[in-house]
Amino acid sequence: MDSLVSQYSRPVHSAEGPSQDEHQELSQTTPPLSLQFSLPPVAQSSAWLRAMTDDYSNPNCPIKIAHGTTTLAFRFKGGIIVATDSRATAGNWIASQTVKKVIEINNCLLGTMAGGAADCQYWLAYLGMQCRLHELRHKRRISVAAASKILANLVYSYKGMGLSMGTMCAGVTPQEGPALYYIDSDGTRLAGNLFCVGSGQTFAYGVLDAEYSYDLDDEAALELGRRSILAATHRDAYSGGFINLYHVKEDGWVKHGFNDTNPIFWKTKLEKGEFSNVTADLE
Amino acid sequence: MFIARSEYDRGINTFSPEGRLFQVEYSLEAIKLGSTAIGVATGEGVVLGVEKRVTSTLLETSSVEKIVEIDRHIGCAMSGLQADARSMVEHARVESQNHAFHYNEKLRVESCTQAICDLALRFGEGAQGEDSIMSRPFGVALLIAGYDEDGPSLYHAEPSGTFYRYDAKAIGSGSEGAQAELQNEFHKSLTLPEAEVLVLKTLKQVMEEKLDSKNVQLASVTKEKGFRIYTDAEMEEVVGRLPTN
Amino acid sequence: MASVFSGAPPQSGPGYSFKQTPTEAPSGTRQHGFYPYTDNGGSTLGISGADFTILAGDTRHTSGYNINTRYAPKLFKIGGEGPDNKGASIVLSVVGFAADGEALKERLDTIVKMYKYQHGKPMSVAACAQRLSHILYGKRFFPYYVHAILGGLDEEGRGALYSYDPVGSYEREQCRAAGAAASLIMPFLDNQVNFKNQYVPDSGSGHELQEKPRTPLDQNHVLELVRDAFTSAVERHIEVGDGLQVMIIKKEGIMEAFHPLKQD
Repeated sequence: MDSLVSQYSRPVHSAEGPSQDEHQELSQTTPPLSLQFSLPPVAQSSAWLRAMTDDYSNPNCPIKIAHGTTTLAFRFKGGIIVATDSRATAGNWIASQTVKKVIEINNCLLGTMAGGAADCQYWLAYLGMQCRLHELRHKRRISVAAASKILANLVYSYKGMGLSMGTMCAGVTPQEGPALYYIDSDGTRLAGNLFCVGSGQTFAYGVLDAEYSYDLDDEAALELGRRSILAATHRDAYSGGFINLYHVKEDGWVKHGFNDTNPIFWKTKLEKGEFSNVTADLE
Repeated sequence: MFIARSEYDRGINTFSPEGRLFQVEYSLEAIKLGSTAIGVATGEGVVLGVEKRVTSTLLETSSVEKIVEIDRHIGCAMSGLQADARSMVEHARVESQNHAFHYNEKLRVESCTQAICDLALRFGEGAQGEDSIMSRPFGVALLIAGYDEDGPSLYHAEPSGTFYRYDAKAIGSGSEGAQAELQNEFHKSLTLPEAEVLVLKTLKQVMEEKLDSKNVQLASVTKEKGFRIYTDAEMEEVVGRLPTN
Repeated sequence: MASVFSGAPPQSGPGYSFKQTPTEAPSGTRQHGFYPYTDNGGSTLGISGADFTILAGDTRHTSGYNINTRYAPKLFKIGGEGPDNKGASIVLSVVGFAADGEALKERLDTIVKMYKYQHGKPMSVAACAQRLSHILYGKRFFPYYVHAILGGLDEEGRGALYSYDPVGSYEREQCRAAGAAASLIMPFLDNQVNFKNQYVPDSGSGHELQEKPRTPLDQNHVLELVRDAFTSAVERHIEVGDGLQVMIIKKEGIMEAFHPLKQD
């Protein structure tokens, strides 16, 4: 019996050293474009990952991934406004106040970041690459519909694995005009006029829905984006930091600043008389 | 050169007793049947030029694509079996984008050429860990032009998988005559407009048809504009600058 | 982006390191006893200046309340020559689970060295930063339990500092603290490096107060800040102490220094 066992089991040390795959990974100039991720050696890897990283269901989870956000985008006659806050939280610790939640996929497409910061960053960069390859292969710019579909199909293939992202793709193309899509890690993909995503979305919707009209002029639209994010940073503890504002037009996007919320809040209160629940008296 | 034909002709990856891989050598011959392509590197940028063989007046000349974009800063001209070039170009595009994805920087022209040449030897039975993608060697040579942190550069990639950097290089059916011409005419201080003229002038000498703005194509890679194929108007302008004789 | 999320702020009661028993999944189903991580404590910090970047980390290595060793470096030179990484210009600091950190460092180091052979030039920090992000993300479903900070000099010679979360989201910053005492050190750095909540004296009162403008800090001043940050953290955090390893990355190369911290 022992001889039978030894015949079929190799000593542990034979598995030492880099594996064939690792060898290949190192000898290649760049890693191949495969979507292979390493998985933990357990049957239910998603449940395991959840226990390790989901700080909602388990506040003591060891690995805390950034969440919490308010992002919004809306279509109007002059293009699309994209606005976000800049706070990243891990549990109740503010991990960063300077996150760039608008991701520049290329010079005419923007993506926004809500949910896992790494998921959004990685997959939107990946989307940027796919869009560029599409452009090279077909000799014209990718439509926003196609770009958002690439992303939606991609995250759908990882459904249930534990990705967390709620993103909006905004762009203006000659075929489509201003086009806005919402994609999330469940595989949802929606076209629409306006979306708010993240923990502060309800607060942003409140302002945006009240004041929104497709016929806004550029200045009013930018101000509405800014004001909606301000409302969300005021009432959602997981949102705050800076207001990141973009305007997407047919010939590309234009950045309209990355501004601290605090002075904007006081300006809004003192000059326009809003936020009257807050006292301005220093004494 | 190929008097000693033997059964080693047929083996795709078997050396002959004299130490030759006949199929690879034959693939080099295939390029000599292709249309002529020329590249000239100057200090300002690289110019690529190809002849389009317009075999019929019914042929839509814009569909003859012998210069293609690999990335904003790299382009290539081809001679030989164009279908083979498609998969090499696709590979180069993916490598270039993949590099940008992982390293947040442009792929160097030499690294891009290397990536293309890595593909060239993946014929026959696949080696360990690598799938073979072709049953025979590629039948196409490429002139790869690009602009990176070291300035402009021009590379020539052969089906054998070797590549060299050139100041000026001609490939295809008229390559021998054209290369001799380039040898005489090339100097280090060429400007980009001079290089455009040199490319067309050289093409004109080796082409069977009379050169006009429709049966040749030019492209350039410069620091400011990256890779771009010349428009019809620009082609006419350059052809107009050719010395008449 | 969201960079390093260092350990949560000090919590109530002992509960800092992980329980050795598996936690229950949200659905209530029992998990396998697969618990591959240990928090080895410690803290790291990085500050970038006009022409330098400073990274620092304490050298204590703990598990739970036990101190395993008093000298376990958390700073690694990446991509120089030979085993000593001579001539390197990039430094990686890792805090969290030391074994994962070590594995990450080995992997990044090999990739940076291979890059030099394959592309004929040393890797830039920006390229290294993106690559590190993707290495971390490659283990998205089985993460490295580390908070990494990468430091170097950018193409223009300015200090460059990148901070990461465990699965690879990253951001270039002026300063970042990570690890057990991040919540103690980070507010101090916000105030002293980015001048958060500092105002110009006599510039008005109430809402008229002018914010103190950001100015590039001098290297010796930054070094003082780093040492103050750690001596203070050692006073209030049990997992930080023993020694302070500092690396200063400049055009001329990397200078490494070691300062003792309290041993209790």
